[in-house]
Amino acid sequence: MKKTRKKTYLLALLPFLVLVGMFEIVPVISIIIKSFMPSGSEAGVTLDNYIRVFREKLYQTAIINSVVIAVFSSLIGLVIAFFGAKAANEKGGRIGGLFMSLLNMVSNFSGVPLAFAYIIMLGNTGILTLIGQKYGIGFLAEFPLYSTVGLMITYIYFQVPLATLLLNPVFDSVKKEWKEAVGILGGTQRTFWFKVGIPVMMPGILGTFSTLFANAIAAYATAYALVMNNVSILPIRISEQFVGDVVQNPQLGGALAVVLMALMVLSILLNDRILKKNRRRGNGR
Amino acid sequence: MVGKKKKKGSMVVLIIVSLYLLIPLVLTFLYSLFTEWITILPKGFTLNAYVELFQDSYFWQSILRTLLISILPIAICTLVVLLAMYVVVVYLPGLDKVMKMICTIPYAIQGVILPISVLGLYAGAPEPFSNRVFMLVCTYCIVVLPYVYQGVRNNLDAVSAPRLLEAAQMLGAGKFYAFWRIILPNITNGILVSVMLAMSIVFGDFVIINTLAGNYFPTGQMYLYSAMRQSGQKASAVIVILFLITLAISLIGFGLQKSKKRR
Repeated sequence: MKKTRKKTYLLALLPFLVLVGMFEIVPVISIIIKSFMPSGSEAGVTLDNYIRVFREKLYQTAIINSVVIAVFSSLIGLVIAFFGAKAANEKGGRIGGLFMSLLNMVSNFSGVPLAFAYIIMLGNTGILTLIGQKYGIGFLAEFPLYSTVGLMITYIYFQVPLATLLLNPVFDSVKKEWKEAVGILGGTQRTFWFKVGIPVMMPGILGTFSTLFANAIAAYATAYALVMNNVSILPIRISEQFVGDVVQNPQLGGALAVVLMALMVLSILLNDRILKKNRRRGNGR
Repeated sequence: MVGKKKKKGSMVVLIIVSLYLLIPLVLTFLYSLFTEWITILPKGFTLNAYVELFQDSYFWQSILRTLLISILPIAICTLVVLLAMYVVVVYLPGLDKVMKMICTIPYAIQGVILPISVLGLYAGAPEPFSNRVFMLVCTYCIVVLPYVYQGVRNNLDAVSAPRLLEAAQMLGAGKFYAFWRIILPNITNGILVSVMLAMSIVFGDFVIINTLAGNYFPTGQMYLYSAMRQSGQKASAVIVILFLITLAISLIGFGLQKSKKRR
């Protein structure tokens, strides 16, 4: 009697296992296996795909571009978000709340719509470009939107709201009394933030950075709609090995996908490592 | 005095950041209202772009498709997670960690990795697996999995499910009854909040639809992508409408969250 009942409840677990197995675990394992298979339809195990990824200029540039864009857009986004969240915390009340609602609202504005907005703002005949041309503001008149820098600037736009929303609660860990204590001891605002505030917030800041990095390095739609083939980045190089007009090579695409996955996992693990180390050091003291 | 100065400083920062975030949105909106914008000021105010969109049945079909494809996978995913969670909470608490890990993996395969993996595996498979819409629904289920799981998990913790379960059993309720008739009604509202978040994510998706089923099942985002190549004015009107729908979805979620807090 008991045994049959045991089996019945396990049935409820089945849909989850089937769904996750067939569309999460097996596909990912299959793409990893594929990356070690020779191109074409032969069988065997090879590292050729990885050698190509790291040797060929096209893929090297894609990896470097992706990492550079992700790191810098995350860092710059983080700095802007730091001041934004700090201001929202100091202001508080209704205005702080209003600012948070605005962040929630614009965090939906990314991908193709964002690329389009930047094209009409800073593209060849963009509104800001026209203003720059008329008033001789060189920076705006010749804005390099369809380049690595342009892509980075566009990415910063979607990093800022996400980073501010993630950093905002972290500011709660900074106590007002500490600020006063530093003030009484003769420290300035700057000393406070560099010696007390930011170190206390470090775990939160690192966690935010890791989320931003993964967010940027995986981003596809913005780049797809904005630069297409002008700037080579990993997600676009990967997808064209599976769909589209270019000659397809799923094994090579698999290797590229594994590299991208590794970068994302690395940023998460690195963040975990640093956090653990900090905690241990904190305990040691 | 210093405090006042500081408050003013914060206000300036908030205004600058808000302007930075609002300008692209406002310009896109203005762009949809004028026939040409080749000098500093736009010319020829018109609502034509919107009128044309409202008459374009193909546009509304693509919006409907987007809504359908955001609701169906989330419904399936929520049901599947609830069933699994029932087993984990009631019978096998030891599996909690494994389930959490499985539900966090989609974060590491964000963006293009999941759809190309699914496509690579099932493109040559027999029906229904090679059916693009089938692939799309299942892939979206995995995309929203972390959000749905987190929503269910947080809410189960919030009502301290194990204790509630114990209490119900002490009062003579069966485990099945206790989970589905006592715990579930208590967490429905909370789950709906995360469902709304998941829905706004699927609604704005471009990478998965473009990789898996762009031509088979054109959604609002695909419509936008092709409108971008026809006319800037039309594209910006499409963006405004899509953005308003996403906003409505988030507002419903936000409202649910508020009513939950009040309770």
